[in-house]
Amino acid sequence: MKLLTCPINGTRPLSEFIFGGEYREAPNQDSCTDAEWAAYVHNRSGAPGDKKEWWYHSPSGTWFIAERNTLTDKVSRTYLLGPNNTANIDINPVQEASK
Amino acid sequence: MQQFDIKKIAPISPIAHAQSNGTVKWDVVNGMKIAVEFASADIEQARKKVLGVTDVSCFERYGVKGPQASQYLADREIAIPANPNAWTLCDQKTLVLRLGSSEFLIEDQLGGLACKKLAGDTMRVAGVYKVPRADAAFILSGSEVLNLFSELCSLDLREKSLSAKDVIMTQVAGISATVLRQTIGGEQVYRVWCDGTYGPYMWDVLLEIAVELGGGAVGLARYQN
Repeated sequence: MKLLTCPINGTRPLSEFIFGGEYREAPNQDSCTDAEWAAYVHNRSGAPGDKKEWWYHSPSGTWFIAERNTLTDKVSRTYLLGPNNTANIDINPVQEASK
Repeated sequence: MQQFDIKKIAPISPIAHAQSNGTVKWDVVNGMKIAVEFASADIEQARKKVLGVTDVSCFERYGVKGPQASQYLADREIAIPANPNAWTLCDQKTLVLRLGSSEFLIEDQLGGLACKKLAGDTMRVAGVYKVPRADAAFILSGSEVLNLFSELCSLDLREKSLSAKDVIMTQVAGISATVLRQTIGGEQVYRVWCDGTYGPYMWDVLLEIAVELGGGAVGLARYQN
Protein backbone atom coordinates (compact mmCIF):
# COMPACT_ATOMS: atom_id res chain seq x y z
CA MET A 1 0.00 0.00 0.00
CA LYS A 2 1.37 3.39 -0.94
CA LEU A 3 1.38 6.00 1.77
CA LEU A 4 1.54 9.77 1.70
CA THR A 5 1.94 12.12 4.64
CA CYS A 6 -0.56 14.94 5.01
CA PRO A 7 1.02 17.79 6.99
CA ILE A 8 -2.09 18.00 9.16
CA ASN A 9 -3.43 14.48 9.41
CA GLY A 10 -0.30 12.37 9.19
CA THR A 11 0.56 9.37 7.08
CA ARG A 12 -2.39 7.89 5.23
CA PRO A 13 -3.04 5.52 2.34
CA LEU A 14 -2.68 7.14 -1.06
CA SER A 15 -6.34 6.29 -1.74
CA GLU A 16 -7.31 9.13 0.62
CA PHE A 17 -5.55 11.69 -1.59
CA ILE A 18 -6.35 13.40 -4.86
CA PHE A 19 -3.68 14.80 -7.14
CA GLY A 20 -4.22 18.48 -7.90
CA GLY A 21 -1.63 19.13 -10.59
CA GLU A 22 1.74 20.78 -10.60
CA TYR A 23 2.18 23.89 -8.49
CA ARG A 24 3.30 26.70 -10.75
CA GLU A 25 3.93 30.36 -10.04
CA ALA A 26 1.72 32.52 -12.25
CA PRO A 27 3.40 35.38 -14.07
CA ASN A 28 2.29 38.88 -13.15
CA GLN A 29 -0.72 39.35 -15.40
CA ASP A 30 -0.32 43.12 -15.40
CA SER A 31 3.22 43.11 -16.66
CA CYS A 32 3.77 39.82 -18.51
CA THR A 33 3.54 39.51 -22.26
CA ASP A 34 0.71 37.71 -23.99
CA ALA A 35 3.14 34.97 -24.96
CA GLU A 36 4.20 34.47 -21.33
CA TRP A 37 0.58 34.33 -20.19
CA ALA A 38 -0.38 31.94 -22.99
CA ALA A 39 2.56 29.72 -22.07
CA TYR A 40 1.43 29.70 -18.43
CA VAL A 41 -2.16 28.86 -19.34
CA HIS A 42 -1.53 26.25 -22.03
CA ASN A 43 1.88 24.69 -21.57
CA ARG A 44 2.93 22.05 -19.09
CA SER A 45 6.30 20.48 -18.57
CA GLY A 46 6.05 16.73 -18.81
CA ALA A 47 9.75 16.19 -18.21
CA PRO A 48 10.33 13.91 -15.21
CA GLY A 49 12.13 15.32 -12.22
CA ASP A 50 11.56 17.10 -8.92
CA LYS A 51 8.19 18.84 -8.97
CA LYS A 52 6.07 20.75 -6.53
CA GLU A 53 2.54 19.38 -6.68
CA TRP A 54 -0.84 20.12 -5.19
CA TRP A 55 -2.33 17.21 -3.27
CA TYR A 56 -5.67 17.06 -1.47
CA HIS A 57 -6.50 14.97 1.57
CA SER A 58 -10.16 14.39 0.83
CA PRO A 59 -11.52 13.26 4.24
CA SER A 60 -10.31 16.45 5.90
CA GLY A 61 -10.37 18.84 2.94
CA THR A 62 -6.69 19.72 3.27
CA TRP A 63 -4.80 21.08 0.26
CA PHE A 64 -1.03 20.92 0.60
CA ILE A 65 2.16 20.85 -1.42
CA ALA A 66 4.20 17.69 -1.96
CA GLU A 67 7.63 17.84 -3.48
CA ARG A 68 7.88 14.71 -5.55
CA ASN A 69 10.31 13.28 -8.01
CA THR A 70 8.08 12.19 -10.85
CA LEU A 71 10.69 9.79 -12.18
CA THR A 72 11.22 7.80 -8.99
CA ASP A 73 7.84 8.65 -7.39
CA LYS A 74 9.63 9.59 -4.18
CA VAL A 75 8.17 12.44 -2.13
CA SER A 76 10.83 14.43 -0.29
CA ARG A 77 8.51 16.59 1.82
CA THR A 78 4.98 17.87 2.21
CA TYR A 79 3.81 21.15 3.69
CA LEU A 80 0.99 23.66 3.76
CA LEU A 81 1.27 26.65 1.51
CA GLY A 82 0.59 30.16 2.69
CA PRO A 83 2.14 33.03 4.60
CA ASN A 84 0.66 31.96 7.93
CA ASN A 85 1.44 28.31 7.56
CA THR A 86 4.55 27.34 9.37
CA ALA A 87 4.10 23.63 8.96
CA ASN A 88 6.98 22.73 6.71
CA ILE A 89 7.48 19.16 7.54
CA ASP A 90 10.16 16.89 6.23
CA ILE A 91 8.60 13.53 6.04
CA ASN A 92 9.14 9.98 5.12
CA PRO A 93 7.47 10.28 1.79
CA VAL A 94 5.62 7.75 -0.29
CA GLN A 95 6.50 4.45 1.25
CA GLU A 96 5.89 0.95 0.18
CA ALA A 97 4.34 -1.22 2.85
CA SER A 98 2.73 -4.57 2.72
CA LYS A 99 -0.87 -4.50 3.77
CA MET B 1 -57.41 20.51 -1.43
CA GLN B 2 -55.28 19.42 1.52
CA GLN B 3 -52.55 21.84 2.47
CA PHE B 4 -49.23 20.60 3.83
CA ASP B 5 -47.26 22.70 6.22
CA ILE B 6 -43.66 21.63 5.70
CA LYS B 7 -42.71 23.01 9.10
CA LYS B 8 -44.98 20.45 10.73
CA ILE B 9 -43.27 17.49 9.06
CA ALA B 10 -40.49 16.12 11.25
CA PRO B 11 -37.31 15.48 9.29
CA ILE B 12 -36.29 11.86 9.22
CA SER B 13 -32.86 10.47 9.90
CA PRO B 14 -30.74 10.34 6.73
CA ILE B 15 -30.30 6.64 7.49
CA ALA B 16 -34.01 5.88 7.86
CA HIS B 17 -34.42 4.55 4.31
CA ALA B 18 -31.97 1.76 5.10
CA GLN B 19 -33.73 0.89 8.34
CA SER B 20 -37.28 0.50 7.17
CA ASN B 21 -37.10 -3.29 6.90
CA GLY B 22 -38.37 -5.30 9.83
CA THR B 23 -40.00 -4.13 13.01
CA VAL B 24 -38.45 -0.83 13.91
CA LYS B 25 -39.86 1.41 16.58
CA TRP B 26 -39.58 5.07 15.67
CA ASP B 27 -39.66 8.18 17.77
CA VAL B 28 -39.00 11.86 17.26
CA VAL B 29 -35.88 13.01 19.09
CA ASN B 30 -34.64 16.59 18.76
CA GLY B 31 -37.23 17.05 16.05
CA MET B 32 -35.94 14.16 13.93
CA LYS B 33 -37.66 10.83 13.33
CA ILE B 34 -35.18 8.19 14.41
CA ALA B 35 -35.09 4.44 15.08
CA VAL B 36 -35.17 3.91 18.83
CA GLU B 37 -35.68 0.15 18.95
CA PHE B 38 -34.89 -2.70 16.59
CA ALA B 39 -35.42 -5.65 18.93
CA SER B 40 -36.20 -6.42 22.56
CA ALA B 41 -34.06 -4.80 25.23
CA ASP B 42 -32.31 -8.09 26.03
CA ILE B 43 -31.36 -8.71 22.43
CA GLU B 44 -30.16 -5.17 21.92
CA GLN B 45 -28.12 -5.23 25.13
CA ALA B 46 -26.46 -8.44 23.97
CA ARG B 47 -25.72 -6.88 20.56
CA LYS B 48 -24.36 -3.77 22.23
CA LYS B 49 -21.83 -5.81 24.15
CA VAL B 50 -20.58 -7.59 21.05
CA LEU B 51 -21.00 -5.05 18.27
CA GLY B 52 -23.86 -2.58 18.32
CA VAL B 53 -24.53 -0.07 15.56
CA THR B 54 -26.71 2.87 16.56
CA ASP B 55 -28.00 5.73 14.45
CA VAL B 56 -27.55 8.99 16.36
CA SER B 57 -28.04 11.39 13.47
CA CYS B 58 -30.66 13.17 15.55
CA PHE B 59 -28.11 14.65 17.93
CA GLU B 60 -28.06 18.41 17.56
CA ARG B 61 -25.04 19.65 15.62
CA TYR B 62 -23.52 23.03 14.95
CA GLY B 63 -20.63 23.76 12.61
CA VAL B 64 -18.58 26.91 12.55
CA LYS B 65 -15.39 27.97 10.80
CA GLY B 66 -13.37 31.07 10.10
CA PRO B 67 -10.40 32.97 11.52
CA GLN B 68 -12.46 34.21 14.46
CA ALA B 69 -14.27 30.93 15.13
CA SER B 70 -12.15 30.05 18.19
CA GLN B 71 -12.83 33.42 19.78
CA TYR B 72 -16.51 33.21 18.85
CA LEU B 73 -16.87 29.92 20.70
CA ALA B 74 -14.73 31.01 23.64
CA ASP B 75 -16.94 34.10 24.04
CA ARG B 76 -19.92 31.78 24.28
CA GLU B 77 -18.22 29.66 26.95
CA ILE B 78 -17.68 26.66 24.71
CA ALA B 79 -14.53 24.80 25.72
CA ILE B 80 -12.41 24.15 22.65
CA PRO B 81 -9.48 21.77 22.12
CA ALA B 82 -6.10 23.46 21.91
CA ASN B 83 -4.99 21.57 18.81
CA PRO B 84 -6.54 20.59 15.48
CA ASN B 85 -7.78 17.01 15.11
CA ALA B 86 -8.73 16.82 18.76
CA TRP B 87 -11.95 16.88 20.74
CA THR B 88 -13.10 17.79 24.19
CA LEU B 89 -16.22 17.56 26.26
CA CYS B 90 -17.97 20.80 27.21
CA ASP B 91 -20.30 20.78 30.24
CA GLN B 92 -20.21 16.95 30.15
CA LYS B 93 -22.92 16.87 27.48
CA THR B 94 -21.47 18.50 24.40
CA LEU B 95 -18.72 17.20 22.14
CA VAL B 96 -16.51 19.87 20.62
CA LEU B 97 -14.43 18.60 17.69
CA ARG B 98 -11.68 20.75 16.29
CA LEU B 99 -11.50 19.72 12.63
CA GLY B 100 -8.75 22.15 11.68
CA SER B 101 -7.08 25.25 13.00
CA SER B 102 -10.24 27.26 12.38
CA GLU B 103 -13.11 24.79 11.96
CA PHE B 104 -15.26 23.18 14.64
CA LEU B 105 -18.05 20.67 14.89
CA ILE B 106 -20.13 20.84 18.04
CA GLU B 107 -22.53 18.05 18.89
CA ASP B 108 -24.90 17.90 21.83
CA GLN B 109 -25.17 14.50 23.42
CA LEU B 110 -28.51 13.54 24.93
CA GLY B 111 -29.46 16.37 27.26
CA GLY B 112 -26.96 18.86 25.85
CA LEU B 113 -28.16 22.35 25.01
CA ALA B 114 -25.13 24.15 23.60
CA CYS B 115 -26.02 23.69 19.92
CA LYS B 116 -29.54 25.01 20.32
CA LYS B 117 -28.12 28.00 22.11
CA LEU B 118 -25.53 28.63 19.41
CA ALA B 119 -28.05 28.12 16.61
CA GLY B 120 -30.32 30.66 18.24
CA ASP B 121 -27.61 33.28 18.13
CA THR B 122 -28.26 35.06 14.85
CA MET B 123 -25.78 37.88 15.39
CA ARG B 124 -23.34 38.04 12.48
CA VAL B 125 -19.69 38.21 13.48
CA ALA B 126 -16.88 39.07 11.09
CA GLY B 127 -14.56 36.13 10.41
CA VAL B 128 -17.09 33.56 11.61
CA TYR B 129 -19.02 31.37 9.20
CA LYS B 130 -21.67 28.86 10.14
CA VAL B 131 -21.34 25.47 8.50
CA PRO B 132 -24.65 23.68 7.93
CA ARG B 133 -24.32 20.07 9.06
CA ALA B 134 -26.25 17.18 7.54
CA ASP B 135 -24.34 14.26 8.98
CA ALA B 136 -25.20 10.66 9.37
CA ALA B 137 -23.84 9.81 12.80
CA PHE B 138 -23.25 6.46 14.45
CA ILE B 139 -22.25 4.93 17.75
CA LEU B 140 -20.33 1.69 17.45
CA SER B 141 -20.01 -0.29 20.64
CA GLY B 142 -18.83 -3.65 21.84
CA SER B 143 -15.89 -5.97 22.02
CA GLU B 144 -15.71 -6.62 18.26
CA VAL B 145 -15.68 -3.02 17.12
CA LEU B 146 -11.99 -3.01 16.21
CA ASN B 147 -12.48 -6.09 14.08
CA LEU B 148 -15.15 -4.18 12.20
CA PHE B 149 -12.83 -1.24 11.64
CA SER B 150 -10.05 -3.52 10.48
CA GLU B 151 -12.32 -4.47 7.57
CA LEU B 152 -13.33 -0.94 6.68
CA CYS B 153 -10.54 1.43 7.61
CA SER B 154 -6.82 1.54 6.86
CA LEU B 155 -5.89 3.11 10.17
CA ASP B 156 -5.06 1.41 13.41
CA LEU B 157 -7.69 2.66 15.85
CA ARG B 158 -6.56 0.74 18.90
CA GLU B 159 -5.96 2.68 22.08
CA LYS B 160 -2.21 2.63 21.53
CA SER B 161 -2.58 4.45 18.22
CA LEU B 162 -5.71 6.53 18.70
CA SER B 163 -5.34 8.51 21.88
CA ALA B 164 -8.41 9.40 23.90
CA LYS B 165 -8.79 12.94 22.59
CA ASP B 166 -7.85 12.40 18.95
CA VAL B 167 -10.19 13.12 16.07
CA ILE B 168 -9.40 11.12 12.94
CA MET B 169 -10.55 12.17 9.50
CA THR B 170 -10.11 9.22 7.20
CA GLN B 171 -12.03 6.95 4.89
CA VAL B 172 -14.32 4.29 6.29
CA ALA B 173 -15.77 1.88 3.74
CA GLY B 174 -14.40 4.17 1.04
CA ILE B 175 -16.20 7.25 2.35
CA SER B 176 -14.75 10.30 4.02
CA ALA B 177 -15.60 10.03 7.69
CA THR B 178 -14.68 11.47 11.05
CA VAL B 179 -13.92 9.01 13.83
CA LEU B 180 -13.23 9.30 17.53
CA ARG B 181 -13.44 7.19 20.64
CA GLN B 182 -15.48 8.35 23.60
CA THR B 183 -16.97 6.93 26.76
CA ILE B 184 -20.74 6.80 27.16
CA GLY B 185 -22.15 5.52 30.43
CA GLY B 186 -18.80 4.07 31.40
CA GLU B 187 -18.58 2.14 28.15
CA GLN B 188 -15.96 2.86 25.53
CA VAL B 189 -17.52 3.39 22.10
CA TYR B 190 -16.46 4.68 18.72
CA ARG B 191 -18.24 7.51 16.97
CA VAL B 192 -18.45 7.87 13.19
CA TRP B 193 -19.78 10.81 11.21
CA CYS B 194 -20.15 10.89 7.44
CA ASP B 195 -22.13 12.91 4.95
CA GLY B 196 -25.83 12.20 5.36
CA THR B 197 -26.29 11.17 1.75
CA TYR B 198 -23.94 8.24 2.37
CA GLY B 199 -25.79 7.32 5.56
CA PRO B 200 -27.85 4.41 4.21
CA TYR B 201 -24.80 2.91 2.49
CA MET B 202 -22.71 3.25 5.64
CA TRP B 203 -25.48 1.73 7.74
CA ASP B 204 -25.77 -1.26 5.40
CA VAL B 205 -22.02 -1.85 5.41
CA LEU B 206 -21.65 -1.48 9.17
CA LEU B 207 -24.63 -3.67 9.87
CA GLU B 208 -23.60 -6.43 7.50
CA ILE B 209 -20.25 -6.77 9.25
CA ALA B 210 -21.79 -6.33 12.69
CA VAL B 211 -24.17 -9.22 12.06
CA GLU B 212 -21.32 -11.40 10.79
CA LEU B 213 -19.42 -10.69 14.01
CA GLY B 214 -22.38 -11.48 16.25
CA GLY B 215 -23.79 -8.00 16.78
CA GLY B 216 -26.47 -5.95 15.10
CA ALA B 217 -28.60 -2.84 15.11
CA VAL B 218 -29.19 -1.14 18.42
CA GLY B 219 -31.84 1.52 18.88
CA LEU B 220 -31.22 4.92 20.37
CA ALA B 221 -33.38 3.94 23.36
CA ARG B 222 -30.48 1.88 24.73
CA TYR B 223 -28.56 5.12 25.20
CA GLN B 224 -31.51 7.17 26.40
CA ASN B 225 -31.88 5.21 29.62
